[in-house]
Amino acid sequence: MSASIQGGAAAATEGVDVGAARRPGSIRHVALREPTAIAGLAIIAFFVLVALLSPFLVTGDPKAKVGPIFEPPSASYPIGLDGGGANMVDLLIAGTRVSLMVGFCAALVSAFIGGTVGVLAGFYGGRTDVVLMRTTDYFLVIPDIPLMIVAAALFGRSLTNIIIIIGIIYWTTTARLIRAQVLSVRERVYVKRARALGAGNKRLIFKHILPQVAPLLVANTVLLVAYAIFAETFITFLGLGDPSVISWGRLIENAFNDDAILNNAWWAIIPPGLCVTLVVLGATLFGQSLEDALNPRLRVGHLSVRRFKVRPLRGKLDSE
Amino acid sequence: MRGFDYVGKRMLFAALTVFVAITLNFVLFRTLSGDAVSALRCRQCTQAFKEYQREQLGLDKSRWEQYQLYLEDLAHGNMGKSLRSEQPVTHELWPPLKNTMAMVALGTVFSIVFGVLVGVVCAWRRGTWADKGGLWSGLAFYSMPPQWLGLLMVLFVAGWFGLPTAGIKDPTLGILGDASTWDVFVDRIRHMLLPALTLGLVLYGEYALVVRSAMLETLGEDYVLTARAKGLSNWRTVRTHGLRNALLPIVTLVALSLGFIIGGSITIEYVFSYPGIGLEVVEAIDQRDYPILQGAFLLLTLSVIGANLLADLLYFKLDPRVSG
Amino acid sequence: MRRTIAIVAAVLAALALAACGGSGGNATGSGGSETGAVTEGGILRVGSINYIDSFNPFHFIESQSYNAFIMLYPQLVQYDFVDGEYVIVGDLADSWDTSADGKDWTFHLKSGAKWSDGQPLTADDVAWTANTTAKYASGPTAVMAPALAHLKNAEAPDPTTVVLHYKTPVGNVLAQLEQFFVVPEHVWSKFAVGDGKGLKTYAPENDLSTMVTGGAFTLKQYEKKGTTVFLPDPNYWADKPHVEAVALTYYTNADSMIADMKSGQVDWVDQVPFNAVDVLKKDSNIVVQQIPGAETTNITWNSNPYKDENRELLDPEVKKALSMCVDRDKIIEVVFNGYADKVESLPGKISLYENKDLGPLEHDCDAGNAMLDQLGYKRGPDGTRIAPATTGKDAQPAHKMQYEIMQPTSLDFNGPRAFDIVKEGFAEAGVDVTLKIGGDSTAAYEIETTDHCDPATNSGYTGWDIAMWDWVGYVDPDFMLSVVTKGQWCSWSDTGWDNPDYDALYEKQGTTVDENERASIVQQMEQMIYDNWVYTQLVEEQYIDAHTTAWDGMDPHLNAYAKMYWTRPFKTG
Repeated sequence: MSASIQGGAAAATEGVDVGAARRPGSIRHVALREPTAIAGLAIIAFFVLVALLSPFLVTGDPKAKVGPIFEPPSASYPIGLDGGGANMVDLLIAGTRVSLMVGFCAALVSAFIGGTVGVLAGFYGGRTDVVLMRTTDYFLVIPDIPLMIVAAALFGRSLTNIIIIIGIIYWTTTARLIRAQVLSVRERVYVKRARALGAGNKRLIFKHILPQVAPLLVANTVLLVAYAIFAETFITFLGLGDPSVISWGRLIENAFNDDAILNNAWWAIIPPGLCVTLVVLGATLFGQSLEDALNPRLRVGHLSVRRFKVRPLRGKLDSE
Repeated sequence: MRGFDYVGKRMLFAALTVFVAITLNFVLFRTLSGDAVSALRCRQCTQAFKEYQREQLGLDKSRWEQYQLYLEDLAHGNMGKSLRSEQPVTHELWPPLKNTMAMVALGTVFSIVFGVLVGVVCAWRRGTWADKGGLWSGLAFYSMPPQWLGLLMVLFVAGWFGLPTAGIKDPTLGILGDASTWDVFVDRIRHMLLPALTLGLVLYGEYALVVRSAMLETLGEDYVLTARAKGLSNWRTVRTHGLRNALLPIVTLVALSLGFIIGGSITIEYVFSYPGIGLEVVEAIDQRDYPILQGAFLLLTLSVIGANLLADLLYFKLDPRVSG
Repeated sequence: MRRTIAIVAAVLAALALAACGGSGGNATGSGGSETGAVTEGGILRVGSINYIDSFNPFHFIESQSYNAFIMLYPQLVQYDFVDGEYVIVGDLADSWDTSADGKDWTFHLKSGAKWSDGQPLTADDVAWTANTTAKYASGPTAVMAPALAHLKNAEAPDPTTVVLHYKTPVGNVLAQLEQFFVVPEHVWSKFAVGDGKGLKTYAPENDLSTMVTGGAFTLKQYEKKGTTVFLPDPNYWADKPHVEAVALTYYTNADSMIADMKSGQVDWVDQVPFNAVDVLKKDSNIVVQQIPGAETTNITWNSNPYKDENRELLDPEVKKALSMCVDRDKIIEVVFNGYADKVESLPGKISLYENKDLGPLEHDCDAGNAMLDQLGYKRGPDGTRIAPATTGKDAQPAHKMQYEIMQPTSLDFNGPRAFDIVKEGFAEAGVDVTLKIGGDSTAAYEIETTDHCDPATNSGYTGWDIAMWDWVGYVDPDFMLSVVTKGQWCSWSDTGWDNPDYDALYEKQGTTVDENERASIVQQMEQMIYDNWVYTQLVEEQYIDAHTTAWDGMDPHLNAYAKMYWTRPFKTG
């Protein structure tokens, strides 16, 4: 059952002939052919650009009070002022930088852990595989959001901690994905041949397996970025984020705590959430298209529906 | 593998996971969080008093002893006592859990209803803008942070319909006289509406997709094509058949999502001040009430494990393809 | 915030001596007889972001529980707010006198008082409660024990007379007794056996049919995080409430609470967030009451004389210079939206005998910089001052004046914004600071006291230099003065100050019965704190509550201080 919301992204593009692009590895073809993938990429690119340019776009302290609290949008302040009288535009730009950074870093952590676990499990098989996969399974059933929240509360609220916590929660589905990919690659003839020629494990992994796995990992990482940004808003909203940085999650939390609703200050509430939605949407579209293009078989049921730990069909992808 | 094997294996796995979850629970809260008493501050908190408290709370024993006691207690259904109120944890967690379950149930109903509606429309108008629009909107809502969506609801929707935005009941209901059951029921539903609606919106995309696929599959079947050629009056058959196809995945989805929803509804409860288990967790964190946190966490973990087990069993029962 | 989560009588409300002349706002009268039409009856629906966690005075943490005790249990005395001042008036006690040596206090109780179950409420109950509290003070009754500090024993020579025998003369008996609640002997005596644990764990709300109270109200319904309902107690021995019922509803967030008040579902809100005040003032159906508050925010300086790093921060001159660079007006504007006032003394403007001659701290960074220059803290190449190397017992190498300022997450105002202003000010003085979030109040306090805190060996209070926090003051200054004593090391002290002269004065004021004498000692102590810059007091938050025009008689001064807070409000027809 392709009960995956990400499948919807592909479904939404039905009618576009992407058959020719569905060769593993032809990322560029996908990117240039599927409109939703392009749209997704465009959105991400836009925000990345803003993040990179933010030191130039925002001069001075974005949190500085420039007017009365919750002043409505005007010519000089197109998105109005927040609960501290600071310019929403500046805050959003500064927030873009932090949110994206958190997203990327956490995604990298997840990708690294998940990738390693997946490669090791898939490559070595046997006991290693069973042990690693069982661990993954256990991690899967622990409710991720409460775990994140508790970990954030226990380990302190610095940005680094948040990144690590998010990274540790989301590696599981990457692990499954990469493991499945490694299993299929492992059977390829040339790997067997290389082994027959006496190539050591390390060499096999790095020279033959990883390159085959890397594109998928990249695609998955894009998805992970979306999840990480999402998770950060969760943590920050409950007051567990790092108070000295501005992120989109923080802006939403500030709006809530500064009584924006009471002051009818929709301009303090809508923009940060909108940014998160757009980035998550964009990353989902793009990452999904990449994953589909790289390995259409795996579209069936494996995907880490971000919060739903959908299990793959029994017997197909498990090592039972 | 044979059915019995499968079921047995799944249950064993679930049991093991429960055990791991329990231990992890203990480790997380007792070992890592330091001593709850050392943090106590009160005018008479002399060393003697703190020792007294430690002894009362069982914190003076070694970790291993505490762990054994913890397991023993759990076996008797005793999750300890809240550090704050000194009442049993089970007693403290039961009402919020009920509240959350009710709200989550309503939210799931919403998501299924929206999902079915949108899914049917999408399948019916496949390939058109309605189709794309339906799927896109589902995807869009799915990408929204639930707490943000909740805030938008409070900002825009609550006013239009005069719905309450916080809590679970009207402060004045039943104060001087006893309110009728109907009044109480209506009041609860009114308070549950916005949080459940938020939850429903965030989740429906999933179900829409499932329904759409199932409908399309059905539409593709030969006998239906023939039937359709005979006229639209058979659309009803198509619809019913399609929905029946969607039943298994929907049910499975619900079972699987239960675990998440209960945990993920934390932020929604926070926005709406809805006194459910999510809010309880947040407040316990603030107050460093470890037994409550432990208990709530365990409950959430158990529900996810239980839901996954249920999903596995359902898969097996309802879909013969799987066991092959 | 940790101070309000005080196990002992943490008072939420901000109350002040009007004589301080702060921006008074529209504080309504203190009750008493109203000339307006008083309609009896009505359900007073109160909204609060604090919930009641206990109905047992020996065990509570949330400050709102304290309000519940005031409603439900007899006190000997309570506060009233009359003519701009707090005065002690009787509750169960009609009058009282002291022996010549100040050690024996005799209270004459109202006669004919009854508990909610009809049993007589007599001096025996008072004496029993007092003696039991004293007996188990190291354990189960520790929470209420400070109200009876230095008590030897209590006697009830007849049903309407109670005599409290103290070991030494105590300077603030009445103020302390305001926090003493009497419980019915005939219900509670069964818990005072063995180790007395039952006294602390007894939760009367679990069985309302056996719950016995004696006050202006009885408890009809309790929902910790929902609505708690109180009904007037027909046996109450003083002015009965005007209302038919009080329904106190807990809200997790102030926004929805205020929204409910605007839509008519709540009549009275006991705390209005600063960002919501302007919105409410524009609403003609709502009366906003604004009074000077009791919560003061501060810069906490680690004043532990035995600390091993950054000892330049022990020098009062350095602390003063830095304090002069902080723009407190900006804090008031940015962080509190104008609803706060500058404050100089530690106990705050609410307290008795406040020393009004302190400072005031001027915002004059030029002078601050001059002081630092003169003291020899030269600026380095990057503009940051350098503390020169020192010799001797606590020798330190030369180092930059760069510190971390620790904040707990539990502040009820936007801490990071306040920090930014302090950072700006310090930067002007050539000192660089970064914000460190210390965790919740418990974690933050652990950072301050440090591991293995022990006053006997002077260990603790290391590893940090500066914090920003707040205190909630009381009318009687004893508690606030105690937090900087060595006796409160590892307990309430967060500065680690150790000054034997000050401690001696603290003991003295505690046993000085003559008011004027005590006042002068207190003021001397406040001057010492100020001169040593143990804290830099920043601002005092205003306390703002609001109610709809359908009601009147609410006096924010009395929150958590008097039964009249609940008995005076009435419907305006």
